[in-house]
Amino acid sequence: MELIKTLAEVPEDELFTGGHGGCRGCGAALAVRQAMKVLGPRTIINIPASCMATIGGSGLTTAWKVPFYHSLFECAPAVASGIRAALDIQGIKDVNVVSWAGDAGTADIGFQSLTGAAERQENIIHVCYDNETYMNTGGQAGSVTPYQAITPDTPAGKPTPRKDMLAIMAAHHPPYLATASVAYPLDLMQKFQKAMAIQGFRYIHILAPCFRGWGIREDQTVQLARMAVECGLWQLYEEVDGRRRVTVVPERRIPVREYLRLQGRFKNMDEAAIQDLQDEVDRRFREVQS
Amino acid sequence: MRLLLNGNEAAAHAARLARVEVLASYPITPAAPVMEKITQFIAEGSMKCNFVRVESDHSAMAAALGAAMAGARSFLITNSQGLAYMSEVLYHTSGLRQPVVMAVVNRALAAPHSRFPEHGDVVAQETCGWVQLFCENNQEVLDSLIQAFRLGEDEGVRLPVMVNYEGYIQSHTRETVDVPEQEAIDNFLPLVRRPVLDVNNPLAVNTVTGPELYMDYKYHQDAALQHAGEVLEEVSGAYARITGRDWGGAVSGYRLEDADIVLVAMGSLVSTARLAVDDLRAAGEKAGLLKIRLFRPFPAAAVRESLQAARAIIALDKNIVYGAGGALARELRAGLYGFPAAPVYSYILGLGGRDVGVEDLAGIYRQVSEQLGSGTAPAPYQWYGL
Repeated sequence: MELIKTLAEVPEDELFTGGHGGCRGCGAALAVRQAMKVLGPRTIINIPASCMATIGGSGLTTAWKVPFYHSLFECAPAVASGIRAALDIQGIKDVNVVSWAGDAGTADIGFQSLTGAAERQENIIHVCYDNETYMNTGGQAGSVTPYQAITPDTPAGKPTPRKDMLAIMAAHHPPYLATASVAYPLDLMQKFQKAMAIQGFRYIHILAPCFRGWGIREDQTVQLARMAVECGLWQLYEEVDGRRRVTVVPERRIPVREYLRLQGRFKNMDEAAIQDLQDEVDRRFREVQS
Repeated sequence: MRLLLNGNEAAAHAARLARVEVLASYPITPAAPVMEKITQFIAEGSMKCNFVRVESDHSAMAAALGAAMAGARSFLITNSQGLAYMSEVLYHTSGLRQPVVMAVVNRALAAPHSRFPEHGDVVAQETCGWVQLFCENNQEVLDSLIQAFRLGEDEGVRLPVMVNYEGYIQSHTRETVDVPEQEAIDNFLPLVRRPVLDVNNPLAVNTVTGPELYMDYKYHQDAALQHAGEVLEEVSGAYARITGRDWGGAVSGYRLEDADIVLVAMGSLVSTARLAVDDLRAAGEKAGLLKIRLFRPFPAAAVRESLQAARAIIALDKNIVYGAGGALARELRAGLYGFPAAPVYSYILGLGGRDVGVEDLAGIYRQVSEQLGSGTAPAPYQWYGL
């Protein structure tokens, strides 16, 4: 397999085209655009309730150039399982079957069907595009919303820490698991290339900031996604059959304070809480990078 | 080939004969033996089918729907809590016009917890847009399930179909069932694939739909469901020609010709009511029976025609729509309203597995006969057997 090493090698075809309904600076749309470059036209994708389910089609128009189904909230991996079963019985091969959900459709309301499909080792790719909040309904907190983040239903800041979905998914022992970021498109695309070459259940978790939910400007989406990696909060790695390999070592390390202070949602976080988080990030950074 | 089969085994044989390609199901009592039997057929090689061992009924329906959209003939089973849990996916399946077939082994909904038969589970899904068929015995379970695929896949219908039979009374009771030859069913039920998720013809399915389109989709969906009633007549006739068994399409009458008082029932009560009618006839009563095989779309015209000579109608409901009465009685009254028609006496009975025997139905008949004689108007509905 020839991995894409430079942007010049990225296919020009857009399978998720312009003209979609996403906001300017939408991290979710960036993630899909990058991934579709690699997944290619022999892909069937289903996306449950989320911004991403709605921005790609309206009425009789669509930005999707691959078969797309806007599925129900709880069950994208189950739908994908059924699609795979149907393709297999018809002898249709070389089709990527993808369930692509937000953090709610992955970690919360969609978790039951996700853990089911992962345990059955369904031959599908599940992608979580994670903006750390329920943006399609206005930005309410979910289980992967960070500690102390202000949201419409946690106005004083979320009182509990973020759920570790990577650890949960790793516990299913998938043949491929990876983190990715819209700020590192080559790394993201290479991970899809690797996932496509493997059979079985594959899980890719993409940090895809939402400027509205994060309290940043629309031109800061990629900047914040990059700073999340640089401060160590979001580490880029992959696990093939459980063996971890860090894929991006940030060129510079920044304190988490720099990352947090740019975002309106963390304005209530005091210095003590930030220091606690820094300590945790440093510990976790050493653990993953070692 | 004649076999001694319970309703669940008959359903599994129907799935085998229909060459079901994807089964997605989650175990629930008393429907689970259907999936066990099918997985056994798969294991022994008498069926080529992919079983998706989902973690819930919601995912079962979602996987069956995904499989249908990708072009496979798909089937599943459930009842009661599982059916209620699937509810929103039922609406997706009908709204997306996917001909999934489901065996619903009717069981009461909790609370209080019950694992026994009644029709409350399926009645709770009466607006979900599926064709809803009811079976009176295990032969009809097998025959209706095979017919359900042809009906749902009909190009003018393209809708999912539920085939209902009751827990234990049918699911776990063995009867002689004639199992047709595979070749006959292959001729009756050719496989025509119409995938909507196809990499060679990419479509965006279920995009955001505004007021300018939503209502038109719903108009076509309702028209297709109404049309399913007509197609069922053709399908039943075609099936009768290959098997000799005619279940009569949407409704069928028994000793109706000169009947004064007509019992109307669905499901296993139909078999019981046949015996009650025979007993009443032997005692000199002009009793008759109208079997409702098709509940959705409700065959109002056929019902009116069948009941035009009746002096009184007895609706037997194994369900309760709280605050409104029996679902069948409500349909009968609505269908007869505005036409010269007999009064409808509505009985709620047999809930949660409470037994209803031949004597019970004969007793109800006599009760109504007396009320009719005394000129007493029917109550909105009454509970029987408390």
